Amino acid sequence: MSKIVLSGIGKSFGETPVLRGIDLTVEAGQFVTLVGPSGCGKSTLLRILAGLEAADTGTVTIGEQDVTRMRPSDRNLAMVFQSYALYPHLTVAENMMTPLKLRDLGPAGRLPIVGPMLARSEYLRLRQQVQTTAEALRIEALLHRKPGQLSGGQRQRAALGRAMVRNPVAFLMDEPLSNLDAALRVHMRAELSELHRRLETTFVYVTHDQAEALTMSDQMAVMMNGEILQYGRPAHVYGAPASLEVAKFIGSPSINVLPGEIDSAGGLSVMGKLLLPDTRLARQPVSVGVRPEHLTLDPNGSFRGVIRHRENLGSDLFLHVQLDGVEKAVILRSHPRILAGTGLEEEVTFSAIADEVHVFGADGLRLHMARPSLVEVA
Amino acid sequence: MPGSRAYLWFIGPALILMFLILLLPIGIAGALSVTDYSLGNTSANFVGAENYERIFTRTTYEKMFGATFRYVFVVVPLTVFLGLGAALLIHSLTRFGDLYKTIYFLPVMAALIAMAIVWEFAFHPTIGIINATLERGCGTWLEAWNWYAAGCERTFPLWLTDRDYAIWTVAFIGVWQGFGFNMVLYLAGLTSIPRSLYDAAGMDGAQSGWDRFRLVTWPMLGPTTVFVVTISFIRSFQVFDTVEAFYPQGGGPSKSVYVMMFAIYEKAIQQNLMGIGAAITVVFLGFVMFLTILQRWLVERRTHYV
Repeated sequence: MSKIVLSGIGKSFGETPVLRGIDLTVEAGQFVTLVGPSGCGKSTLLRILAGLEAADTGTVTIGEQDVTRMRPSDRNLAMVFQSYALYPHLTVAENMMTPLKLRDLGPAGRLPIVGPMLARSEYLRLRQQVQTTAEALRIEALLHRKPGQLSGGQRQRAALGRAMVRNPVAFLMDEPLSNLDAALRVHMRAELSELHRRLETTFVYVTHDQAEALTMSDQMAVMMNGEILQYGRPAHVYGAPASLEVAKFIGSPSINVLPGEIDSAGGLSVMGKLLLPDTRLARQPVSVGVRPEHLTLDPNGSFRGVIRHRENLGSDLFLHVQLDGVEKAVILRSHPRILAGTGLEEEVTFSAIADEVHVFGADGLRLHMARPSLVEVA
Repeated sequence: MPGSRAYLWFIGPALILMFLILLLPIGIAGALSVTDYSLGNTSANFVGAENYERIFTRTTYEKMFGATFRYVFVVVPLTVFLGLGAALLIHSLTRFGDLYKTIYFLPVMAALIAMAIVWEFAFHPTIGIINATLERGCGTWLEAWNWYAAGCERTFPLWLTDRDYAIWTVAFIGVWQGFGFNMVLYLAGLTSIPRSLYDAAGMDGAQSGWDRFRLVTWPMLGPTTVFVVTISFIRSFQVFDTVEAFYPQGGGPSKSVYVMMFAIYEKAIQQNLMGIGAAITVVFLGFVMFLTILQRWLVERRTHYV
């Protein structure tokens, strides 16, 4: 197990910069997710780490070794691709054998037909290794089938098996769940986390799905436009987004952004309503982010709007409420039971939990407020 | 609707056309092949398997099979191999790929009759560019090769009129003319190989180009190869225009280039022996049918991936 360090990674395709000086440290054994919208460079970063793409600037270090100029096969990393990239003409067992054969056998042993006879004991050992991995993933029954005869989930497991079989330093996964149906995706999330706990190996996982990032990772890096905007624990990224872009990207339904301002006394007001008396910030216009779960229906609430749309998910109910002076409807989380009698186009009042709002300056960066509770301590 | 005959209107036209332009002519050819019919005769005599017996016993037809198989088994492997090689090379280029594609594809598009005249000049024993070029090598280290020394001493081969060389020369022109077509098919096959498979091969430890070719390229080209080989076989069995252009009479020196298509043409059209011509046609059809069925079987069985 070794630590992976990417430093100063830059990459351009022609004139277009894709990565702008990325620094990222992945501690040994961690599950790190790179998350971002498509085109943000996360897959390119993973491919640079894998060695499939060469960086224009910067270095990649695995353990103590600089591997920037090393071939992918010498880095001892394993990769699971979005399309699984299983060899369609080989059975699952042969697919899983391939990395072992290419690494452990000489040219003679790899010859067709005579190879297995020349290197008999090696073949036995490799087959045993395949068998053990297959048992761990519960795919023994599929070993003699070809990828074309497998379902999406089974192919996913076979691809995992091919990655696992040679005990790599780290697993790299490029959106491995995006070709699966919704139910299977949720199931595989749990299974991958479980696999990570069992193997205790480093996972670097690329996804555009913030739910996968939040549920599985130890650390997540939010990437946009070739830069890492925030790197930290999922709870921290969700609870204290470093910028408005991160706040908007992480969380579903996405965060509500309302116009607000800090007055000369440091008081934060949103749409003319004072929310926090003293933030110790200088006077300026700000954007205020409030997550749907931090808005509550309240007969005495200070905000008033008209219900435009309701989404009942059974466990939660999301109301889209149109406020005067805000273009986008505000989304508010509630419970179906509470709202049983409320219909569309009705007026509701609600309030925001003041402790939970996020304030962003004109440049989109988070402003650190002195929270009321912290003020008392100080 | 039970009892409705609407389905007849759907399959009828296709069935009628297939019967009229495929099955009926084959049937007629089959029927003629057991007679001694000549065009213009009002009747014909039933001769049984006599025509077939001739095909499989007379030396003329032995030469016919010899020439055909020599041609086919030189042209097919070489066009397939060169087509694949050219496709791999062009596919690896970042620039000028289209230029090379056009150059290699030109012979496929050119009218072979016209090209045959050009080749006839090139192979001409005295004024031809090929022997003239060979003669320039005389007196150099090339003479260490016995064949070359003999050529310098007397004369270089009469490529098109020497019975030891004629079929190979015609086969060479067949290769020259045919491999561009296979190259285009292979290029199409190469572009359809997903890039991620090469990435996976790289991660799995395939270091050399040969490893990647063995693990990804060649297996993924399996379906293309089956198609290319079949098409090449059928095209080579059908060779006619070069032979007709070089040897309008008799199929080359000592009938050494007497290929099947030419035999059919000579017997049935030039000599008006419809019966024997039809019999050769049926044998020819048998070969092509066998190859087609073999291809179907291979496609369905070995290269059925997804």
